[in-house]
Amino acid sequence: MTTARQASTQAKDRPRRRGFRRPRIGSYSILGLCSILYIGPLLMLLLTAFKTLPEFFRDPTGMPESFGFENFVEAWSLAKFPSYLMNSVIYTVVATTICVLTSVLVAFPIARGYFKGSKQMLTLYVIALFLPPALIPQFQLILNLGLFNSRAGYILLFLVNPIGIIILVNQIKAVPRELDESAAMDGCGYYRFVLKIIVPLIRPAIATVTVLHAIGIWNELVLSIIYLTNDDLFPITRGLIVFESVYGSNWPPLAAAVLILMTPMLLLFLFLQRYIVSGLTAGAVKG
Amino acid sequence: MAIIDRKYLFDKGWKSAAPIALLLPGFLLYLLIAVGPSLATAVYSFTDATGIRGIPVSWIGFENYDEFLFIGAASRDNIAALVRTIYFCFFVTTIQFGFGLLLAVLLNRKLKGTKFFRTLFFLPVILGVAIQGLMWKLFLLPRGGPVAEFASLFGWTSEFLGGQPRQAFAWVIVVQIWANAGITMVIFLAGMQTIPERLYESARIDGAGGWQLFRHVTWPLLTPAVNTNLLLNIIGSLQAWQLFLVLIGYRPGTQVLGYLVFAEGFGQVSGEVTTAFRQGYAAAASIGLFILVLVIALVTNVFVSRREEKFLG
Amino acid sequence: MTHTSIGRMLALLFAVCLVAAACGEDEPEATPTTVASATTAPETPAPETTAAAPETTAAEPAPAEDVTLRVLVHQNPPMVEFMESFNQSFEAAHPNVTVDMSVVGAGDLSIAIQTRLTAGDIDVIDIFGFANAAQPYMSGVNPPNWQTLIEAGLLMDLTGQPFVDLYDEATITDAGSFGGKVYSINLGRVSYSGMFVNLDLFDATGVAVPTTWGELVAACDTFKAAGNECMTVGGGDGWPIFVGAYGLLGAMYPDQEALVEGLWTGDITWDDEHSVEMLNRMQIYANEMLETGVSGLSHDAAPARFAAGDVAMMPTGVWQAPALDEVDFDWTYIPFPGSDNPEDNQYLFGKYDQGWAIAADTPHPDVSLEYLAAFSEPGNYQAFVNAVGFIPTQPTAELATKLGAEVAPYLVNYRVGFEQYWVAPTGAGQWANASQAAAWFDPFNEWTDPAGLGAQAQADLQAGLDAG
Repeated sequence: MTTARQASTQAKDRPRRRGFRRPRIGSYSILGLCSILYIGPLLMLLLTAFKTLPEFFRDPTGMPESFGFENFVEAWSLAKFPSYLMNSVIYTVVATTICVLTSVLVAFPIARGYFKGSKQMLTLYVIALFLPPALIPQFQLILNLGLFNSRAGYILLFLVNPIGIIILVNQIKAVPRELDESAAMDGCGYYRFVLKIIVPLIRPAIATVTVLHAIGIWNELVLSIIYLTNDDLFPITRGLIVFESVYGSNWPPLAAAVLILMTPMLLLFLFLQRYIVSGLTAGAVKG
Repeated sequence: MAIIDRKYLFDKGWKSAAPIALLLPGFLLYLLIAVGPSLATAVYSFTDATGIRGIPVSWIGFENYDEFLFIGAASRDNIAALVRTIYFCFFVTTIQFGFGLLLAVLLNRKLKGTKFFRTLFFLPVILGVAIQGLMWKLFLLPRGGPVAEFASLFGWTSEFLGGQPRQAFAWVIVVQIWANAGITMVIFLAGMQTIPERLYESARIDGAGGWQLFRHVTWPLLTPAVNTNLLLNIIGSLQAWQLFLVLIGYRPGTQVLGYLVFAEGFGQVSGEVTTAFRQGYAAAASIGLFILVLVIALVTNVFVSRREEKFLG
Repeated sequence: MTHTSIGRMLALLFAVCLVAAACGEDEPEATPTTVASATTAPETPAPETTAAAPETTAAEPAPAEDVTLRVLVHQNPPMVEFMESFNQSFEAAHPNVTVDMSVVGAGDLSIAIQTRLTAGDIDVIDIFGFANAAQPYMSGVNPPNWQTLIEAGLLMDLTGQPFVDLYDEATITDAGSFGGKVYSINLGRVSYSGMFVNLDLFDATGVAVPTTWGELVAACDTFKAAGNECMTVGGGDGWPIFVGAYGLLGAMYPDQEALVEGLWTGDITWDDEHSVEMLNRMQIYANEMLETGVSGLSHDAAPARFAAGDVAMMPTGVWQAPALDEVDFDWTYIPFPGSDNPEDNQYLFGKYDQGWAIAADTPHPDVSLEYLAAFSEPGNYQAFVNAVGFIPTQPTAELATKLGAEVAPYLVNYRVGFEQYWVAPTGAGQWANASQAAAWFDPFNEWTDPAGLGAQAQADLQAGLDAG
């Protein structure tokens, strides 16, 4: 365990950030200009959500006459948002967990070269980055497995992440091999070793993979159009598009719906942002 | 277990199969979901498959490729989509790279509010295509929307996303960059934080100014982040087409290859309700996309490894 | 970064996952995805079987087990509203049946039909009238999707069902049959070639309702000079822009079946004088008549824009009439006056809209047929027509709404439109179907030159004809 502690103290010694000393006004004005692009769409969304449709037609950019929550109530009552949100959470959490767990178990022996052909297997994963999205055979596969329009089938689509394997392999290579040797001497079993000793040591990479993978699933739109037909199974992305084409088509309640669906993601992000940034920091640069 | 390497020190005997046994679920899933279907795409591309149960599938050789690349004026439109895909990739990759780097440089300084800006610029990443698309459709509303109002100050009117194909295409590029620059920025920031402060100090003692510090310290040492960003941006933009679906739909003069695959495979091409599924043909188109991605990625990889040798030895 | 907090985060993730996995377990049973699971009992206990027994014997020998009938319809607000109430009454009359209706956007209907039929995941589907069949003069074209579905054996043969006889013969033959067998009952014709006219605004501005192209152009100038808008359409969905000009196409080519044949045989070309004049008018429609910014207005929101009262005309389909129930001005629906000759501006073009079909391998053929039979009962059908404003396909029903009264004079001149006949030859370019040209002119696309577009359209069409 001493080596593990050393590795972690090294991480803490990472040089603190400091940059150049240039006039601050220039920096702030560039940042301010860029922020317009980021705050603008958000502000427009917010204003629209409080308007009535005639009000919106009269003056899309003006201030709303009053700040009532009618549109939010309407949006909430028209669509099954709680069920969409729950679905998105189920898909994201289940698929990410399975994907990360299996990825670690694949990445570790590859990184260590514990079996013959491990190099070739890594190459196979690298190639996958370039493979075309196999929409059509995948569709046939899910149909033939009888998993079309089911939670299990949809989750199955997200159980693999080649980029994740590569990030994990790189990070595991940085963990000293002596650790394996001493653990084996002590009679530690393989599974326990990976789970109890390796996993804690590569937390940053795991956090990165988790976050990237979860974002991908949460935001997936097309696969939900192809594979899910039942309203009860829709994730929020699909629910929102359905809401656009089915109920709304007029902006005020649609804007309210977008805001409703953004909020949980936003809160989660603000809460986890530290890990997201540090996770990306640790994983991506080496990868 | 002959397959286990001699380096493996854990349990002997039947238990030594543990690495393989534990690796298998992940690897088999990978074969089932990713590799298998991708290989099957190649097989499909030589058939007239429709994707509808009960319709016999027959081998038609290279007919799909022939139709995609050579038959009539449709092939001209396909090639145009291919070229458009490359344009999209080029503009998104370069601008997003530059923009992300600019943001990272500014936010790596000791300024008040960096945390706020960092959050703000990263925010779109977590929202996802559906919400990003709706936000921008509203922001670019041609009748009285904020951008339209601003443009009308200069006497400029436009239908934006519903208008001239080139312009609509340009707006998708803007939204794609807006949506993903946060990741580029964070990866650059991460790279900058690994650069030891003493390197800057010794350079300053040698009389280096801001630009020289960037040119001779930050830039070379940022190489891993540069490479990561380049590859991520290229692969991401070549395969990104969902924004096109959400923002403009299938219109003449705007589609990219990825969208074409989806539209042909699932009968979304003509906007008519009777369009057939052409999954064999779509498979041929996606093999085309694969070759494009592979070529561009390989070329970039050569460039990237040369750079790495130059800077990192 | 501290280790403990990440550990806590991962622990939380696992915990949520365990809960979610537990929640997910019973799901396959609740969601019928296969024939087998569909027949297993749904999550709720059977609603009072004793009460069900006498009812079912009275009606017809329906299966005693609980049935979930999966119905797919496309989005059309008044129709969905009607279907919800119809489903309630159907469930009330058949206590063992639960109707599970899913609604998809019109653009996604074909994707939903094909995937769900292929997956065996649907019982009753909404399918548009059969159109775009390959004609003898066409060669090497892909068959339309409905034909493929029938050939794949996925649609149930409805020939000889008693409810089929309630619909007029032309409807059954033209919109629901293939190879001499009936596969779909079509529920109504719609017209898309006319426009809604704000009569109060015409009065206030002192303009007469136009009957020729020249009068229309003059009327638009007057409206715009008075500070109003001439036309609006729900261009946000793309197609309403060119569908709005289908009346213009129809006025210029009143025999649309002949136009398709002419284009295939070369007797008519997109770059001949008559076609270029049509394209010229489409450009004027797109560029001058439509108000600016219509590409940001969605199809369903367009009636609300029209209701604002400062737009004189809205070219769109009759199906939008129910959305105008509450406007505070007088309106009518007239054919788009696209021709200089008033005689040619008397036709309404359209298509067969929604229809019902049944999946061939439905586990509940009896209930599905009973559903269609109940829907087809003249009383129910009349209520449906009243709700959606379709031109009825049952001879006994009539369109007794304001719209019905307004379009009555033109119904003798009802014709099936171009897009129902048109099939593009394989290899034709993206500009080959110039009936959509209204959406290709500035400001909606790159074209500013009607003659140039005509030449391009003809070249794109010819490339396909030559390749086939």
